[in-house]
Amino acid sequence: MIEFQHVFKSYGRGRNILADVNFRIEPGEFIFVSGPSGAGKSTLLKLMGGLEPASRGSVTVNGHRIDRLSSRTLPYLRRTVGLILQDAHLLFDRHAFDNVLLPLAVQGLEPAMAATRARAALEKVGLRGKEAMLPIELSGGEQQRLAIARAIVGRPAILIADEPTANLDHDSATHIMDVFRDFNQVGVTTLIASHDTALMARYAQRTLHIDAGRFTDLAGVPA
Amino acid sequence: MKRWLRHHRYAFRVALRRLRLHPFSSLANIVVIALMLAVPILGAAVLQSSQPLARQLAVAPELTLFLAPGTPTGQQQALLKRLQDQAGDKISDARLLPRDQAMAQLRADPAWAQALDALADNPLPDALIVTLKDSDAPAQQARELADTWRQWPGVDHVQLDSEWVRRLESLLSFVRVGLGLLAIAVVVVVLATVFNTVRLQALTLREEIAVARLVGATESFVRRPFLYLGALTGLAASLLALLLAWLAMAPLNTLLGHFAQSYGIDWSLRLPATPDLLLSGALIILLGAVAARLSVTRHTQF
Repeated sequence: MIEFQHVFKSYGRGRNILADVNFRIEPGEFIFVSGPSGAGKSTLLKLMGGLEPASRGSVTVNGHRIDRLSSRTLPYLRRTVGLILQDAHLLFDRHAFDNVLLPLAVQGLEPAMAATRARAALEKVGLRGKEAMLPIELSGGEQQRLAIARAIVGRPAILIADEPTANLDHDSATHIMDVFRDFNQVGVTTLIASHDTALMARYAQRTLHIDAGRFTDLAGVPA
Repeated sequence: MKRWLRHHRYAFRVALRRLRLHPFSSLANIVVIALMLAVPILGAAVLQSSQPLARQLAVAPELTLFLAPGTPTGQQQALLKRLQDQAGDKISDARLLPRDQAMAQLRADPAWAQALDALADNPLPDALIVTLKDSDAPAQQARELADTWRQWPGVDHVQLDSEWVRRLESLLSFVRVGLGLLAIAVVVVVLATVFNTVRLQALTLREEIAVARLVGATESFVRRPFLYLGALTGLAASLLALLLAWLAMAPLNTLLGHFAQSYGIDWSLRLPATPDLLLSGALIILLGAVAARLSVTRHTQF
């Protein structure tokens, strides 16, 4: 469950990126966040992932108010949220396999089990056979898929993706969206920020539209 | 427990990988610390090897109490009895050397015989020769007794034959203080070098740290490889310092051997005892980890 209550977000004394945002997402929903560039989509997703604090209001994820979590406990919440940011944020000096292994190393998973799950995640995003490649040797789309593999390998309760198909061709985009849908079908709450109206029309159960920090909840209506 | 061990194993491997990624700067840091560390190891070797030597040379410090000219034989005997009564526990031997006997001993030396023939009469005073028992600080004890006896009536002058032992002890004290200061310098160098290494690494690895946090890494998880990096640097530097000190022993001992033989002394340098070396190594490793901890806490706040 994700709940925003009267959330404001601004940087310094600048204008509000988000202004009085209120919504609630139930477990297992598949949601698109739409809106023009600079509308605040990425900021919204970062607040959900606990990467940034809200200026005002409360953000509750999986029953925990993020602003009340200490710096010691916040990482444990992050492990339940798979984040895929616009910039893939990969480790370019490590092989694809080691990139996917990182969240499992953070969790202290047994190595053989971790390796099995990392291979399964790579296979899920169509990167099986590219384990030993460095991210720089992968195309932009493959890098994005690698970031998705890293986000899903920890079996998060929530998947948050910021423009995950922006660098992908149509077939790859469809493949990745199918991956998200598969995860959603086994109960993973999925939020995707996207401009792609065709994808939204095909996959969205509910769309949150954001424009100039203001929110419109278009339940069941693709924007 | 297993999870904790896995985290440490992972951190250790990451630290090794980071050391390997920058072999030249890692090696440069290790060499700088090792060179700094080798000096006090050699200093400690000199100090520890010199202490038995000083003790051996100070086994029988001797004092000569020259009596005032014309002191009657009765008073000479009284002085001898007085020092035996008052300092008997510190004296192994005390005897009277009459001036005629002293002159005869001097004449027995051909180097002096001719010079003494030129004298009209015997210029030597009567003397009491006192040999002290061995003690922990023989030079200091001899000095204290000399100061006391110098005040006695009938004693003209007290000659401390072990003065040079006192100088050697002073020199060793100086070396000891110098080593203490050097140890402080080593601490500062280790702290500064590891602190700066970790600072640079933390800046270089900003992205990696950010990604680790993104996937739920705790601050302990982020810090741990840096702590291992500091500890490994300390370990490698300690081992290299030991190797350098050991290599330096052979030429130093050759030079010292020639020098010591010219004084009829058997003296050679030995590395400090193994427990001392192990303790020093452990302290350097700990220091490396502490420096890394200070640095990483300060430089990963982003």
